[in-house]
Parts: sequence; structure tokens; C-alpha cells
Amino acid sequence: MKGRIKILATTLCAIRADLARPHEFAHERVGFLTAGVATSADSRLMLLGREYSPVDEDDYIPDPTVGVKIGSGAMRKALQSAYRPPAALLHIHTHGGSGRPDFSGVDRRSATEFIPSFFNPIPRMPHGILVLSDDSAKGLIWLTADRAPIPITDIISVGAPYAKYGAVI
Amino acid sequence: MKWLDRQSFLGINSDQALRDAVIGLAGLGGGGSHVVQQLAHVGVGNFVVLDDDSIDNTNLNRLIGGRHGDLPKESRPGTDKVEIARRVIVDINPAAKVYARSALWQVEADRLKGCDLIVGGLDSVRAKSELEGFSRRFLIPYLDMGMDVHALDDGYLIAGQVALSMPGCPCLRCMGIVRQEALDEEGRNYGAAGGKPQVVWPNGVLASTAVGLAVQILSPWLPNPISSTYLEYDGNSHTIKESTRFARIKNLPCPHYPSNETGDPSFDVRKVLDTPAPVQNVATAAIPAPSWWRRLFGWLAI
Repeated sequence: MKGRIKILATTLCAIRADLARPHEFAHERVGFLTAGVATSADSRLMLLGREYSPVDEDDYIPDPTVGVKIGSGAMRKALQSAYRPPAALLHIHTHGGSGRPDFSGVDRRSATEFIPSFFNPIPRMPHGILVLSDDSAKGLIWLTADRAPIPITDIISVGAPYAKYGAVI
Repeated sequence: MKWLDRQSFLGINSDQALRDAVIGLAGLGGGGSHVVQQLAHVGVGNFVVLDDDSIDNTNLNRLIGGRHGDLPKESRPGTDKVEIARRVIVDINPAAKVYARSALWQVEADRLKGCDLIVGGLDSVRAKSELEGFSRRFLIPYLDMGMDVHALDDGYLIAGQVALSMPGCPCLRCMGIVRQEALDEEGRNYGAAGGKPQVVWPNGVLASTAVGLAVQILSPWLPNPISSTYLEYDGNSHTIKESTRFARIKNLPCPHYPSNETGDPSFDVRKVLDTPAPVQNVATAAIPAPSWWRRLFGWLAI
């Protein structure tokens, strides 16, 4: 199974603008996107972006060993935003630059720690991580807490222009 | 020269963008048949065409691709409109992939979910509203076309519209195309012009306008393409202009389709996970080959 994510172009612009803001001590910012989910006729899992929530300033934790660290309060607020109506929850950050970004080892390791916890309150939805560049993106979706994630192969910005990133470009 | 060279001004990657595009068309009548032909000409590579109707002799005045030989005979019904659409597409571009089904669009809703754009050539206001609601739920831009001939005291007025309903932007209700009065009126089967008179050229004007809107969002043609619009057509004066109502509301958020209503409301990932392999296969795979010392032990035991 492969995944596709569609996000309104206006939402994607707002996400990029939020993540581009410098933080007092963190080297990068993160945020969370909720998404509705459906499957298409070709058994593709489709995540359909709903609302973006930036992480509050107070929820960043100083940690010189990583680019960014957020506290449990940020996770709780994100899960609250996805709880009713049930939504998929995507952790988003950016690496900036152009071209297709990739997850760092730290990104992958930390995701395997926090993503499974998303399934406790919201077991009926898949959850995942998304990394942006200035003109592309890459993502992974977990279908359950204990299975390996599947790739998001298509990332679509819905607006004018209608832009496809990921495997298509 | 390649067959799309004359439209290279649409942008460096326009051929690929259009070839990769998946466009759904619900309603392949007078308007939809024009649209499908033009989309094939500009190089759109993937189509989902849905209509449960077949051609009859009253369609021949406007159905693009319809032929006298398609009309119903005593021995057989008329050719399905989706089959005519498929024939038009592949006659222009044999490489195009066409999923054609003679059915209401609701029957093939899963097919439409994967589309990049949906074009509605539906007659009723209720049908337009339902298809737009579906498109919003799956974040698909929706192009609506409509044309009517209204009886006046001293003749007839040809009027129509093309609307681009982009998720997050004003919807057909915001634009006033879907109104409760119109739904009620339709429910009473009341129409000023009686039995839906139609002619070919207004459909062509509206379809060409819709295709222009489709190409400008799917290709890199324009630096600032229009994301949402409502264009009114006056077939008597041969003019198209932006609706004055739309000009007032185009920068307002749509209150009818909240952002938290995307996706399938009954979706449950646990139901779509891969089904387990049949028990027999699982059992076969679960029993590992015995190690050499177990095989030896077994042999000695005998």
C-alpha cells in the first residue's frame, strides 16, 4: 500500500511560513497537521489535510544535542486537535532548501518512539511524519503502532497551480 | 515536431503535468462531451468518464462525437455516452488511459476520489451540489458547467455559467448557483423553458472556458492562475463576465464546507489493513524446516 497526501496550497504556505520563523533557542520548528483519510479505487491511502497547529513557544525544550525537542504538552495538544472528529496526525518539520528532502536518523528514531503513542487515543486513523523542503516533501505513514511505516509517494498541493510533489516529480 | 509542440507556451513541464493528470467527468452530454474532446486534444493522459445515459436522436444536435450510427435501432439501444467519450479520446490520443463506465457517478465514487480535477456536466442543481460536496470532501477542484434556455415575452434567453469551485474557496452555495429555492423549484419539476432546450454552440463556449480554467491550474502556463471563479454567460449578447455576486464574496471563507470534514467519515484503518493470508499458507510458512540434528534425531528414533 502506498500513501498520498493532499494539502490546500494556502495551508501549505501557512505551514512553511510558520516553520521558517526563527526560534529563541531551537534550531528548527515543528508543527502538526490533522488529516481526514480515505482509500481510493487503486487501494491508495489518501490523507486529506484539515488543520495545521504550530507548536507553542512554551512547549519547546532546550536540548543542544538535537535540532529541536518538544515537551509532552505539545503532544497532548496535538492529540487533542485530532481526537474529535477522529483525524490522522502528522508531525511536520522542514529542512529548507530545494529538492526532495529526506529524514535524518534522528527524525526516524524519534518518530518510531512517539508515533506509536498516537494510536492509543486515536487507533482508527493512521499517523505519520512529513518533512518539507522549500519546494518538495517526503512522508511516512504508520498504519498501526507495531508495523513498519509505508511511504507517502504523492504529495499534492491543492490550489492554483495544482502541484504534485514526491514520486511524480 | 511532436503533437503538443504548438502548446509549449504552457510551460516546460506542461506536457508531463497534463499527461499525469487524472480528470473525472460526471455527465457526458452536451457540455461534458465538448470538454472531454478538448482535454484529449491538450494531452490529458487519464480519464474517468461516468454517465448512465445512452445517445438518442435528440442528442445528435449537440453531443460531440455522436454519430448517426450510434442512434438506437430496433435491434439495439443507442451507444452509451461514455463509450462515445472513450472513442473520442482514444481517436485523438491512443496513449490516454480511459476508465469509462455507464453508471451514475455515485456508483464509481471510489474512482473519482483519486482524480486531480472533476468536471460536472450535470443537469440538476441537486446533482451539482452532491458532486461538489464529494469533491470538497476529497480535496478535488470541481468545475461546474450549466446552460439553460429561458422563455421571455419576446423570445428566448440563452444563459449559462462556468464555476471553478476550489476547496477552501467559495462554493456553489456561496456563489448562489446552488440555492434552496432552486432546489425546491427543481423538486416541483418547474422550469420556465419547459423541457430543457439545448444547442451546441453555447455548450462549446462554456466547455472551452472550463477547459481553459482546467489547463491554467494543471499546467505552469500562468504565474498567478485563477483559483476560484464564477463566470456568467449571456448567449444572446455572446459575452462572458465574472459574476458580480462572486466579486463580492471571492475573498470570503466558505462556511458550507468546514476544513475538518475531509476524508471518509467512517474510515477505520484497522478495516483496511492487509487481510491475513489464508490459514493453510500461514501454517505452511510458520513451520520452519527442521534443523539437521532434529532430522538426525528423527531418523535415529525410527
